[in-house]
Amino acid sequence: MKHALKLGALALAFLAFQPVAQAAQGWGLPEEEEVRFDATVVDVLCELTGDCPDNCGNGTRQLGLLDEEGVLHLPLKNFTPFTGASWELQQFCGKKVTADGLFTTNKGYKVFVVQFVREAPDGKWQRANRFTSQWAEKNGVAADSKQAKQWFRNDPEVQRLLDKDGVFGLGPEADKAYFEANQ
Amino acid sequence: MRHVTRLLAAGLMFVGLSLPAAAAAPQRVQVTGEVIDTWCYITDIMFAEGTTHHQCALWCAVGGIPVGVLGDDGEVYMVLKVGDDTTNVANPAILEIQTHRVSVDGELYERDGIKYLLIDQVVNDEGIVTVNHDDFGIQPFGE
Repeated sequence: MKHALKLGALALAFLAFQPVAQAAQGWGLPEEEEVRFDATVVDVLCELTGDCPDNCGNGTRQLGLLDEEGVLHLPLKNFTPFTGASWELQQFCGKKVTADGLFTTNKGYKVFVVQFVREAPDGKWQRANRFTSQWAEKNGVAADSKQAKQWFRNDPEVQRLLDKDGVFGLGPEADKAYFEANQ
Repeated sequence: MRHVTRLLAAGLMFVGLSLPAAAAAPQRVQVTGEVIDTWCYITDIMFAEGTTHHQCALWCAVGGIPVGVLGDDGEVYMVLKVGDDTTNVANPAILEIQTHRVSVDGELYERDGIKYLLIDQVVNDEGIVTVNHDDFGIQPFGE
């Protein structure tokens, strides 16, 4: 019994010091595939046209994943609500990464969700949720605050647009009419 | 002379290695359709057209998800440029026309099944014409 306990403790200690296994997590998307592949992070506009600012445009450009067969994958999404992938990939501009996530194919388009990423071949895995901490820093709140987690309800630019045009884009009067009718 | 030739060859090799691969010739196009959030539309995770989805489309655009034009031909065109502005992550000018029905002139690049649109000019902006929130409410949270 003592031997079994010792083995158990050793096993737990071993597991505790292992890096967290990173693996794609299904979201139930159309024709979803959980995938992991190596690719180079490229500025999509640069890749298509040769218009290539320094450092992939420093966050102003959509970034793609150019795989080893020359296929350009377009990541539309990262791991946080309502946010894209460029926030995650910018740090790897021009570098080879291992991307872990989901392909989804619908309406004739195959796009990618980046859930985890690391510099290839053996960089440290990162969960693709850097948007939240970047947004929090920019807006002077803690990354684990409610404001940051619900960034989309607290973002000044979003708020400015909603104040001006309303949630339907038709102006505040349309909002008022809708909410009065649907109380 | 041999030295110069070697230098030229090395220079050409460098240039060749520096240019992006597989740049294809663009096609001049005119596209008319609605400015959309591409993630919600392509994945069908919610109804993602018109006024019902306008707020969410703003969230996604500010959040850096690629904005597209859903053409009258049913195709999704990923917008990579508007005019001289090549910012295509949370571009403030694109935010101002989110959900609008627009007609644009530009260049189309197709690569690996995705249509990328470089808009030279928005030639017509009809504003928001797909008014559907009385039917579908506010996507996705109802508020």
